[in-house]
Amino acid sequence: MTLALLVSLMLGQGYAPQRQGLDPLEAEKEARVMRLGKQLRCAVCQGVSIADSPASMARAQLDKVRELVSENKSDEEIYAYFIERYGEWVLLQPTTGGLNSVLWLGPLALLGIGLIVIVMQSKKSAVMLPMPQTAAAAEGASPAPTSDDALLAQVRADQEK
Amino acid sequence: MKRVGPIIALAIIGLLIFVLFKAFGNDPHEVPFLLNGKPAPNFKIKRLDTDQEVTLEQFKGRPIVLNFWATWCGPCKAEHPVLEYAWKKYEKDAVFLGIVFEDNEQNTKRFLAENGWSFPQLFDPKSTVAVDYGVSGVPETYFITKEGIIQGKVAAPFSHPMQIDARMKGILQ
Repeated sequence: MTLALLVSLMLGQGYAPQRQGLDPLEAEKEARVMRLGKQLRCAVCQGVSIADSPASMARAQLDKVRELVSENKSDEEIYAYFIERYGEWVLLQPTTGGLNSVLWLGPLALLGIGLIVIVMQSKKSAVMLPMPQTAAAAEGASPAPTSDDALLAQVRADQEK
Repeated sequence: MKRVGPIIALAIIGLLIFVLFKAFGNDPHEVPFLLNGKPAPNFKIKRLDTDQEVTLEQFKGRPIVLNFWATWCGPCKAEHPVLEYAWKKYEKDAVFLGIVFEDNEQNTKRFLAENGWSFPQLFDPKSTVAVDYGVSGVPETYFITKEGIIQGKVAAPFSHPMQIDARMKGILQ
């Protein structure tokens, strides 16, 4: 770990310095800042919220939340501010509206359609079951020719020619 | 009527494939940038050298190159000479501004004293201007038209002056 830090510093990669003073808001507002921060994705992290990330980018984003909370913006307005810049990607919990609703409702709709198809197919199979043989059939009478049989007969006749 | 079921099923499957493709077709690590083509947010921050307040509005009517950087960021330091070159080439046609991101004044002044600087460097104490611009890391350089519209950003360091030349053409038209 120490070696990695030294190598990183030697390569010119540094760390953002700690700020001289972070300005948390009064307890109630700060709690709201942290609640909102838990829902917003840090722009440089892997699926970590800005409230949980120590990254300098997350720190800046959280300060922006503080600024917006101080201006008495609603939760929706604060989310909208971030979505306007980073898209819905910034929300750790995606919304269920719009195109996203397809992801939520699509599998259910497919399941419903699948069930309907299964029911319809099973009904169809029941109708297609062979009928009990009639008396004429039992006596050896050939069944009525179908259109396929007629076609077959025509093909045979053509071949004989 | 018989064909309605399969058609609906195909439509839903198609829509699901579209949504999945849209979701998985992108690099999950790529931060979306939605301010392209939109008005550049105004700001009011101080110059590092004079403490004079600077706003974006005061440069309206001139193309602007806005560079977010920090002294703790190696690639930012590496692109410093390239930006200096670009400023010398385009100083008459465009305004160049540097905005220091998540850094302290002491480090920034020391770096600039050692390496020289030509265009105004602004200090954003809480880096909220960077968030206003949808910055996702440093260095990032924004190209703003004379009408104040963001015409793209480069979220990587410039390693060669030609990279800036290509971008400048877009805002100098």
